[in-house]
Amino acid sequence: MPETHRHLLVRNVSLSFGGLQALSDVSFDVNPGEIVAIIGPNGAGKTSLLNCINGFYRPDKGSITFEGHEVTRTPPHQIASLSIARTFQNTALYTGLSVLDNLLSARHIHMRANFLQCLLYWGAAHREDMAHRAVVEEIIDFLEIEHIRKAIVGALPHGLRKRVELGRALAMEPRLLLLDEPMTGMNQEEKEDMARFILDVHEQRNTTLVLIEHDMGLVMDIAQRVVVLDFGVKIAEGIPDEIRHNDDVIKAYLGEAA
Amino acid sequence: MDTADTLPKCLIAACQKFGKQRVAMRQKDRGLWREFTWGGSYEQVQQLALGLMSLGLKRGEKVCIIGDNDPQYFWVQLAVQAGGGVAVGIFTDSTPPEIEYIVQHSDAVFVFAKDQEQCDKLLAIRANVPAVRRVIYWDAKGLWNYSDAWLMSFKSLQTLGQQANSEQPGLFEKTVAEGRADDLAIFCYTSGTTGQPKGAMISHHNLLAACDHTVQIDPRFETDEYLSFLPPAWITENVLGLAFHLRTGMVVNFPEAPETVQENLREITPHALLFSARLWENLVALVQVRITESSWINRMLYRLFMPVGHKVAGLRFEARRPVSLIWRVLHALGEVALFQPLRDKLGLTRVRSAYSSGAALDPDVIRFFRAIGVSIKQLYGSTEAEVHTLHIGDDVKFETVGVPAPGMSIKIADDSEIWVSAASVFHGYYKNPEATASALVTDAEGRRWFRTGDAGHLDSDGHLIYLDRLKELLELAGGQKYSPQYLEGRLKFSPYVRDVMTIGGADRAFVVALINIDFGNVGRWAEKRGLAYTTFADLSQKPEVYELIRKEVEQVNRTLPAAARIRKFVLLHKEFDADEGELTRTRKLRRNLLSDRYREMITAMYGGKDAVQVRALVKYRDGREGIMETSVRVAALESAAVEGDRR
Repeated sequence: MPETHRHLLVRNVSLSFGGLQALSDVSFDVNPGEIVAIIGPNGAGKTSLLNCINGFYRPDKGSITFEGHEVTRTPPHQIASLSIARTFQNTALYTGLSVLDNLLSARHIHMRANFLQCLLYWGAAHREDMAHRAVVEEIIDFLEIEHIRKAIVGALPHGLRKRVELGRALAMEPRLLLLDEPMTGMNQEEKEDMARFILDVHEQRNTTLVLIEHDMGLVMDIAQRVVVLDFGVKIAEGIPDEIRHNDDVIKAYLGEAA
Repeated sequence: MDTADTLPKCLIAACQKFGKQRVAMRQKDRGLWREFTWGGSYEQVQQLALGLMSLGLKRGEKVCIIGDNDPQYFWVQLAVQAGGGVAVGIFTDSTPPEIEYIVQHSDAVFVFAKDQEQCDKLLAIRANVPAVRRVIYWDAKGLWNYSDAWLMSFKSLQTLGQQANSEQPGLFEKTVAEGRADDLAIFCYTSGTTGQPKGAMISHHNLLAACDHTVQIDPRFETDEYLSFLPPAWITENVLGLAFHLRTGMVVNFPEAPETVQENLREITPHALLFSARLWENLVALVQVRITESSWINRMLYRLFMPVGHKVAGLRFEARRPVSLIWRVLHALGEVALFQPLRDKLGLTRVRSAYSSGAALDPDVIRFFRAIGVSIKQLYGSTEAEVHTLHIGDDVKFETVGVPAPGMSIKIADDSEIWVSAASVFHGYYKNPEATASALVTDAEGRRWFRTGDAGHLDSDGHLIYLDRLKELLELAGGQKYSPQYLEGRLKFSPYVRDVMTIGGADRAFVVALINIDFGNVGRWAEKRGLAYTTFADLSQKPEVYELIRKEVEQVNRTLPAAARIRKFVLLHKEFDADEGELTRTRKLRRNLLSDRYREMITAMYGGKDAVQVRALVKYRDGREGIMETSVRVAALESAAVEGDRR
C-alpha cells in the first residue's frame, strides 16, 4: 500500500520532558478501519503517544500525519475538525450537565448556523438543531443509555460515565477514534459490554480505532494489531498471536529473570 | 357473539371499526413517541404472515418468540396466528438451556429472536434444535456482520411477504378467515417451581372470553392509553394487553427500553395498570424516600395533608360514612397541594383501573394510594384460566382477592382447593397427558374445571380468600387444614406485630401463636394512652397490649373457618433475635429452634394454663449472659373464635 493511502502515519516520533525520554523514535502505521491496541507496562509512554496523535503534545522530533494532514503542525483546536476524537483515562465530561447536553456539546464542530439565526432559533438554526439532536439520539440508542438521557453526569456511576464519554467522542462522527483505557475500573460485565460497543462502532461506522488497554484478554480479543511500548521504545508490533509469544514482550512485562 | 373469533380476525375488524388512520400503538424511539396506525399494523401483520407462509409455515405449527415489549412482538404473534400457527412466548432472560427446552418441547419450526443477544443464544444451541428452519430478528444492531443463512432479518421476511401478496392477493384474508375460535393461539410455559416447565395450550376462544368477560366490569375505551411492560410471554399481557387492544381499541404504548418503564409511565399516564404487589410497595417506599430528600416545603405539605388523605379515605372506603364539610375542604386543598402532584409524579393521574396481583398486598399500601386518590384492587388468576377473581368497583376488601369474574364459577373442593370453570379454561398441557388429567376435571354436567392447586375459601359476601398453595397447608389432629403463611403474613400486616410463629400440625388439636409485638409502634400507642411501662418485657405483658393484639388476631380469625383460626397466643417477653440464632440474618424464622426454645410456653398453651414462668438465658451484645425471669400470660380466643364473627 502506498504511503499516502495509509490512514495514520507515525514516523520517528520522539518526545522528552526535560531529561526524561518519554518516546524515542516510535514509528507505526494504522490502516483505515483497523483496530490497533497500544500496550506496555506503566510509564511506557502510551498516553504520551496518544497525546501526540491528537496534538495535545508536540513531539520533539518526527511527524504524525492523518489522511495527509500533518497533525504536529495543526493547532489543538483544529485537531477535532480533522475528524480525530478521543476519550480520556479519567473521564473528562461536563459533570454538571445532562448526558444529552454532554453529547450535544460534541456536535459543536458540526454547527453551521450563525449567531443571528441561533438568536432567533428560526429556519436553518432550528432545522440544524433537530438534525444534531437526531444524531445524538442515534448514539444514545446505539450505546443503550436511553434511561439516563436526562440524568446529570455527575450523579452517574463510573461505568456509565465511560459509556457517555465514548458517546461524546462518537457524536463528533470521527474517522479516527483514540480510546485511552476505555475499560479501566469496570467490572467484568461492564467490560464485556464496552468491548461489544467498541466492536459495534468499528463494524457499523467503520471507524479506525487506536486504544490503550491493560486488560490483555480483552486486547487480544478485539485488536487486530498490537503495538508494544517499553520505556518509550517500540519493542514489538504484530497480530495478537505473535505478540503473545514474543520474548521481548514477555520480558518487558515479567522482568529479566522470567 | 360476532364473527371476529380469533385474534387476527379481531385485527381486521378493529381496522374497519376504528379506521386505518387511527393510532393503534406508540413506541418511544430515539427520544420521540412514534405512532403506528391500525392500517400500519394490518400491513405489517399481513406481510409477516405471508412471509412465514412462503417459508412454509403450516396450520398448527409452532413458532417461538423471544423479545421485549415492542410493536414487532405483537405483530409477529398475530402474523403467526394469522397463518394458523401457535405462538410460543419465551422470557427474554431465559438461559440457552431453558430456551432449548421450550424450543424442542414445543416442536417450533421458526424462532423470532429480538436482537443480537437472543440470536447468540439460539446460535449456541443450534445443533440441538434441528427442527428450527429460520431464526428471524427485528433489531439488527450488532448483527450486520453475521452471515449465517439460518438468521434472517425482519425486512427480508417482509419482502417475501410483499412478493407473495402481489402474486396471490387476498391470500392473507382467506387464510385468516379459515381460522377457528378453538384453534390454539398461544402456548404459555409455566415457570414450574419443580420439574420442567409445562406448556399450557390456550385457544383464541380462551383469550377472547377472558377479555370479553373482564371488560364487562372493567371497561376500556378506544381513547384509553395502556403501557405494555409486563413480559409478553406471560398470559397477563396477552389478555390485558393484546386481546384488550384488539377488542376495545385502547392504544398500546411500548416503553423505550425495559429500564425506562417508570419514566415512560409518567409520560403516558395510562388508564389501566397492573403491578405486582411488590411493585406497589416499592412505589410507596420510593415516595417516602423522595419526600425526605425533598425541600422543606414539600415535606411540610406531605406531613400536613397525608393525614387528611388518610382520614377522608378511611371515612369513605372503610367506615363508609359521609365526609363532613370541613374535611372535604381540607381534602380539596390537599388535592391541589399534594395528591395531584404526587399522582403526576407516579404517572397515575388518569388511572381508572389499578390492579395488583401476585402476592397479598399490605393494607397500608392500599390505604396510602387511597389517600392520594388511587384505588388499588386485587386480581387473582392463573396461566391456565386467566382471570379468576377480582375486586369490582368500590367492593374492595383487604383480605380477599375479590369476587369471581363474570362467566367464572368458583368451587372450593373438600380439601380447600380452589377449582375454577369458565370459557377461559385452557386445553391442557402440551405433550403432557398426566399433568393435563390431574389439572382438568370434567364433572357430571360436562363442565370443565381447572384445579388451581391453590387453597382458599369464599367468605359470606362471596369474596374469595386466597390462603396459599395447597401443598403448603398443614393439617391438624382432627384432619382440618390451616395455612401458616396466611396467618403469619396477615398478622404481620398489623403495625403492632413484628413477628409471628404459628404452631400446629398433625399432633395438635388447634393452632396457637407466639407473637412478637413491635416495640416502637406499641410503645407509641401506649404513650398516647398514658400507659406507663419500663422494658419490652413489661410492655408486652400489659393487659391493654394483650387486648390490642387480641383484636388484631380476631380480625384475621374472622376471615377463616373456625378450625383454621388461632385459638391461643402469647406475647413474647423478648424479641426474636438473629444474634441468638432465632432468626436467620434475612429475618426468617428458625422454626425448629424456636419450638424447642419456647416449648414451655407451647405446652402451657395446649395444656390450658393461664400463664407460664420463664427463665430465659439472655446473651447481651457485649458477650455477657444474664438470666431474665418473668411471667408470660396466655391469651385464649376460644369463645371469640367460635361466636365472634360479627357478620
